[in-house]
Amino acid sequence: MTEEERAGYFDIIQHGNLVGVDPANLLLHGPTKRLVNNYHWHSPNKGIVASYSPTERDVEDHFNVFRGVDQVEAFAQATIVSCATFLQCPKQNCLPDVLRDSFVPAFISIGNVNFQNYLEFGDTFISIGNITFWKWRQMVCDGRIYRVPKGLDLDDYFKDFTDERLLNYDISSDFVKVAELHDITGRAILIEHFNKLA
Amino acid sequence: MENANERKEILDGLIEVLRTVRTIDPARLEGVTEETDFLTDMNTPSTELINIAAKVEQKFDIEFEDEDIDRMGSKVKDVIDLIIMVKERGANN
Repeated sequence: MTEEERAGYFDIIQHGNLVGVDPANLLLHGPTKRLVNNYHWHSPNKGIVASYSPTERDVEDHFNVFRGVDQVEAFAQATIVSCATFLQCPKQNCLPDVLRDSFVPAFISIGNVNFQNYLEFGDTFISIGNITFWKWRQMVCDGRIYRVPKGLDLDDYFKDFTDERLLNYDISSDFVKVAELHDITGRAILIEHFNKLA
Repeated sequence: MENANERKEILDGLIEVLRTVRTIDPARLEGVTEETDFLTDMNTPSTELINIAAKVEQKFDIEFEDEDIDRMGSKVKDVIDLIIMVKERGANN
């Protein structure tokens, strides 16, 4: 990232939202474990809508189906990791790559998760999550995963989305509900504390 | 002696807070001392420590910083030490 790009990105972190930002800038692990392609709507203190299309590698040796455990991971990356990182950066006046030197994003707990449908290679899904708790670098989110209607322009569809519609999951019935997730909890743990857990 | 009284008052207040935590078995609150460990003695889920901290803030009218929570140990005495430290910090500001 050039200095000019960093300055622009810093301005987004300070004053904007994640729509249009490359998830690679927020999710700092390697690309094979990154399960978010795009952010389509983001209200920093309320929640987010992000999408992912499972790759051939994601479904390999698993009946061409994207695993449920990976759905939870994708949801957590889209919501907790992305939203909490976005909120933490202004507090520390930095970009996410600086946070990587101090913290490890870790699962703390997972509440009820109910799967109602499935996802295959070739599908696109959205994680739609709302923030129910954010304090001391711990975030809790509830939300749902929906399969996206083929060919839908998600940026256009969610351009006028609102906090109220997020809380009501007010989207077209053409979206197919795949999973419902509750109390997904993660925390940015200081690296020195994380290492003591070993 | 004054310090001992203060710690006893905080311990009593803390036990009141713990009685409101759904995941803590009330039977485990009998005989709680400063050496009691939330994780090993009370089987408190690690995620619950943050909720307890939020309730402690309200109970004692204090405000923890991120770093306070990072430093907080899992024993009752650690929480009491933290409460006293944060109260003193608030008094000095």
